[in-house]
Amino acid sequence: MSLASDKAQAFVAGLKASSGLDLLAGSGRQAMSDLPVPTRKSERWKYSSLTPMLAKPVTTAPVPKGWPEGEPANPIPGLHAYRIVFLNGHVVTEASDFPIAEGVVCMPLSQALAEGRIEAGDEDWSHYHTREWIGAVHAAHFQDGLFLSLDEGVVLDRPILAHHYTLGENVASCPRHRVQIASNAHAEVVLWSSASESSSGMVNAVFEAKVGSGARLGLDKVQHEQGAVYHLAHEHVVQEKDSTFRIHTVTVQGHWVRNELNVIQQGSGAHTMMHGAYLPKAQEHVDNHTTMDHTKPHCTSSELYKGIMYERSTGVFNGKVFVREDAQLTNAYQQNANIVADAGASINAKPELEIYADDVKCSHGCTVGQFDEEALFYLKSRGIEDRTARALMVQAFVGDVLEGFGQEEVAQEVKRLLAQRHGWM
Amino acid sequence: MAYEGEDKILEEVTGKAYEFGFTTDIDSDKAPAGLNESIIRLISSKKNEPEWLLEWRLKAFRTWEDMTEPEWSHLQYEKPDFQAISYYAAPKQKKVLASMDEVDPELRKTMDKLGISLEEQKRLSGVAVDFVMDSVSVATSFKDKLADLGIIFCSMSEAVQEHPELVKKYIGSVVPVRDNYYSALNAAVFTDGSFCYIPKGVKCPMELSTYFRINESGTGQFERTLLIADEGSYVSYLEGCTAPQRDENQLHAAVVELVALDDSEIKYSTVQNWYPGDEKGKGGVYNFVTKRGICHARSKISWTQVETGSAVTWKYPSCVLKGDDSVGEFYSVAVTNNMQQADTGTKMIHLGKRTRSTIISKGISAGKSQNSYRGLVQIMPNADHARNFSQCDSLLMTDRCGAHTFPYIETKNPTAQVEHEATTSKIGEDQIFYCLQRGIEEEQAISLIVNGYAKEVLNKLPMEFAVEAQKLLAISLEGSVG
Repeated sequence: MSLASDKAQAFVAGLKASSGLDLLAGSGRQAMSDLPVPTRKSERWKYSSLTPMLAKPVTTAPVPKGWPEGEPANPIPGLHAYRIVFLNGHVVTEASDFPIAEGVVCMPLSQALAEGRIEAGDEDWSHYHTREWIGAVHAAHFQDGLFLSLDEGVVLDRPILAHHYTLGENVASCPRHRVQIASNAHAEVVLWSSASESSSGMVNAVFEAKVGSGARLGLDKVQHEQGAVYHLAHEHVVQEKDSTFRIHTVTVQGHWVRNELNVIQQGSGAHTMMHGAYLPKAQEHVDNHTTMDHTKPHCTSSELYKGIMYERSTGVFNGKVFVREDAQLTNAYQQNANIVADAGASINAKPELEIYADDVKCSHGCTVGQFDEEALFYLKSRGIEDRTARALMVQAFVGDVLEGFGQEEVAQEVKRLLAQRHGWM
Repeated sequence: MAYEGEDKILEEVTGKAYEFGFTTDIDSDKAPAGLNESIIRLISSKKNEPEWLLEWRLKAFRTWEDMTEPEWSHLQYEKPDFQAISYYAAPKQKKVLASMDEVDPELRKTMDKLGISLEEQKRLSGVAVDFVMDSVSVATSFKDKLADLGIIFCSMSEAVQEHPELVKKYIGSVVPVRDNYYSALNAAVFTDGSFCYIPKGVKCPMELSTYFRINESGTGQFERTLLIADEGSYVSYLEGCTAPQRDENQLHAAVVELVALDDSEIKYSTVQNWYPGDEKGKGGVYNFVTKRGICHARSKISWTQVETGSAVTWKYPSCVLKGDDSVGEFYSVAVTNNMQQADTGTKMIHLGKRTRSTIISKGISAGKSQNSYRGLVQIMPNADHARNFSQCDSLLMTDRCGAHTFPYIETKNPTAQVEHEATTSKIGEDQIFYCLQRGIEEEQAISLIVNGYAKEVLNKLPMEFAVEAQKLLAISLEGSVG
């Protein structure tokens, strides 16, 4: 056995096998031995190395007795939301607040399984575990998650906040969220992940969603993790006819982050917005892999990712846009703008277009540059000191991503955290 | 001996040429199919090469044996059987045709459309050329003129014999043997190619082209070109020609190395029109080429390519911008029709300070073809104030073809400025309608639109080449709008 797979074996040895969804867990275990452990030799992992993570084995944390004292269950001041909170991958029901309304089923995934709400053969929408070793590790060891189902035409009165908190050393958390929105229903979800300063380990999260015809799903996703957590997130969203899906992914802080976002438009007239921002510093690593798959005609997508790399951090952006043969009259737009702020920082960007239909409008743009010296001079000549002027320009640069959050409170809190971290105040 | 299976293989391989009325003499001076050390020794001894070159080839062969064929490209093809190829054949004598009437009428029609003069048509199709317009003598007179300036322009074999010190110094210095699978193969078995050296401060007065070396043509499928521009010199080099090339070799794995020393400039233009296979994708040339140039201080390398042929193209002319203030440029038009596949682009490696690069790539896909741009822009930590601009546009002609863009941008310097933009769109129906309204036929209208679209690149070609390339684009896309 190779050194890499030995290390991988040791890494996962302390993980607890998942219960429920036996088919998925079983095929996940099988796939773990069949699939190669990703190395930088494989194209998808060229810029992100798992080696440092695999060097420190992780274990599944025991079921917690309650929510840690002093830690807010709702990290977003002023956000009036239904809440489901997780500690190291386990749901903490006492600290949660589920919506009770007609046409809405919102509960922990474990409860949904116990109630038989997931039919055999329908437990897995993304088949992530058959493609990636990381996905297989998740499938074999997932713990719990959010289960949300909205009936036709139901509109939630408040957003749902799924807050994941990592506490402890070398902890493995595998949350698995499942959202299904029936036709013409509408839900807004906030995915917030945080970690204590002394925490370390892995968060291996999967989010799967189906957005029915004419339905809407909005996702505010924020990563604010202190400590040394390796965060691997996989989102898989399937859109039906005339549906709308919006996501804002902002990495405020994270030791090592990889976000994989896959959106498939399976019905015509669907619209997708994927926005993101990343501002790593120190030696942090933030990787955003997105796939926009247009399979039906008359669909649109717009994607905007912005990043500023400080100090010795690295950023990765890989955005794929597929336009399949049937997807005529697609209008797809992708933009990625980066600033390498300090010597020692780097960005690896790879915007990709794969187009198999002819009557389409597709474009992408990708830039790497600096702050506009003239604009800086303009501000300084009006008596604004250098530091403040730069902060202003950074805020303007990432502003068009931050302004788009579904919940104003999330936007405010993210701005506050960023300002604190980067000394903008 | 493997000579028994030889005729069969040759017949298969040369099957294409037979269709168009060429005959190839099966000469006795041909190595048996297969690749091993003794074949490499045979090639080297036939060419009377010095010991160091043989060693270099053998080392390359051993390297190649350890390597695996790359699979990352967006291409689907049957992998060549490297043991079924014969790696050495003495220059073949094509049967000389008595008159133009014997030439394949399809080929004649194409050449007429390209506006190739009758004399040149004869030369290209192997018809005996009359004495009045002996292009060989024209070529000779050019050669004298070049020699006066100290420019060395000859075949690689000749250079190995006459200028071994230059060859030894620069061969493999830009494209190392280990670079990739095909460059290693080429290093082991290359048979010939062009060699060019421009002395210090000399501006080459004419466009250099293998065209002038017609009596030495037939350099085979593993061509190796080495071009060195010494300090302060300038050269413009043309490769290929617009006329359709019916080649009997299926696999072409060439290596081109450019060395631009301080303050020099190299302009390298390519028009590639190898046999693309038939409409169903049968046959056609595999074009797996490694082209790279190294730029020293204040020098400039400019690649311009018009790619219309080959069944499968795998080609990334690159610039290593090593010296401060050096400049790299890449201008490309790639047309794919029917079942053709192209995965082409460039690499700009910025090492020196204030290095600049420009990439303009125009892809045109028609039929059921797949056309990909794949490019790398790399800004290394020391490349302060490096600048890159890339633009990749794709034009789709039918609803069955594909256009893809895979740019890699790696920046490790805070002062660098990199811009990439790509667009994909259909050929404008309103533009075609506009032309039709004014009595311009559809085919002509498409030709007009496509040429306008590719103008930025075509303008970079030397004038005569540009005129032919424009017509070539139109011919390549005939009947392609669906």
